[in-house]
Amino acid sequence: MTALSATAPSPQKLLLEARALSFYRQDEPVFGPLDFCLHEGEVALVEGDNGSGKTTLLRILAGLLHLDEGELRWRGQPWRRIEHLGDTLFLGHHLGLKSDLSARENLAVAAGTYGKRPGRDVTNVLNDIGLAGYEDEPVRRLSAGQKKRAALARLLLLPATLWLLDEPYANLDRTGIELVNRLLLEHAAEGGAALVTSHGAVSFLQGEPKRVRMHA
Amino acid sequence: MSHATLASACAAVLRRDLTLAWRRRGDIAMPVLYALIVITLFPFALGPEDALLQRIAGGAVLVTMLLAMLLALDAMFRGDIEDGSLEQLMMSPQPLALMLGMKILAHWVTTALPLIVIAPLLAGMLHLPTAVMPVLVYALLLATPLLSLLGAVLVALTAGSRRSGMLLALMLLPLCVPVVIFAAGAVAAAQQGLPWLAPIAWLGAALVMALVLAPLACAAALRIALDA
Repeated sequence: MTALSATAPSPQKLLLEARALSFYRQDEPVFGPLDFCLHEGEVALVEGDNGSGKTTLLRILAGLLHLDEGELRWRGQPWRRIEHLGDTLFLGHHLGLKSDLSARENLAVAAGTYGKRPGRDVTNVLNDIGLAGYEDEPVRRLSAGQKKRAALARLLLLPATLWLLDEPYANLDRTGIELVNRLLLEHAAEGGAALVTSHGAVSFLQGEPKRVRMHA
Repeated sequence: MSHATLASACAAVLRRDLTLAWRRRGDIAMPVLYALIVITLFPFALGPEDALLQRIAGGAVLVTMLLAMLLALDAMFRGDIEDGSLEQLMMSPQPLALMLGMKILAHWVTTALPLIVIAPLLAGMLHLPTAVMPVLVYALLLATPLLSLLGAVLVALTAGSRRSGMLLALMLLPLCVPVVIFAAGAVAAAQQGLPWLAPIAWLGAALVMALVLAPLACAAALRIALDA
């Protein structure tokens, strides 16, 4: 495990600590044992081959999958799913968008259930994310990249400390990739943290990000 | 940081599901058309004898309504699981059982309510006496939400498996039986001029219990389904 933190000046407060995490699917080990930690203002890249359990790791941290073995600590306390509801945002392969609703309506539902960051509203977030002019178009008529942007708009709108982004760069054009990087940097500057999966070389932020390697 | 209140979350989920149903109005019309066709066919199959039709009217309308509801039951959580909306809902800082309760309410409003509205018309086609109509509507008003709630639990339980429709129908059958017995019992009693309040009260009691327990069971079952 190499831990070269360049995204935020250390020392920062420890947010998430994972010790000897393992996950089994029908007694077949998917990954682990895995150790890593994440500080405030830190963005970590989860690396591994296809099937190495990157998505599984994020789903465990999102509280959607039950952890088999190992220990998770959040700010020094044992991690409990119930305390992270609303404080963790997960962007998975399924974008969580209703295709019959517009981006604006989808975001309004998200804000209704999660709440909003101060000073943000649906309209300015959609402008910021590059969907101006498409706010009221049903999501099913948007391109794959635009759908991704509509899902990324949740990151800007909703309050959360930890972002779990599964392949956030997929389907995005060059400006989209820059947009994700900008969102991550802003989030880190505000003291948030993020785990990002991505295979292949992605022009990832400036400098060398922290890396979490999955052993396939 | 402004956190969402429970009321705004309930309203958001309810509004979303009702909007989605409205965008697919054709799907709402399907159970209604189905019920209309089935009831229209009864006099053709059994012959236009008033006495016979009158005797079966209550039961036929009730069974048709419940079967029509089954048509739409299967899809209650499927869309949300497929597009990831359910994951997002589960991770939101809201009680999942209550959010699912809102989804069940929206489902009832979009599938059962139109059926209840046309029920007097269908019953009239089978010559059900006008005096019995209110009892039929009361019975439906209690039986349909009960079926939505019971159905939701089973849909949630079978959510993880492919082609769950068949399994769902088989599992729902024994749960439907008491609902049909009490609902049809009330209508039959009213038709014979007997007191009909007792079976209606039983339906009400079952509905209250289902209202409390079914959303909790749904939430637990869906968590397990997504954990696989």
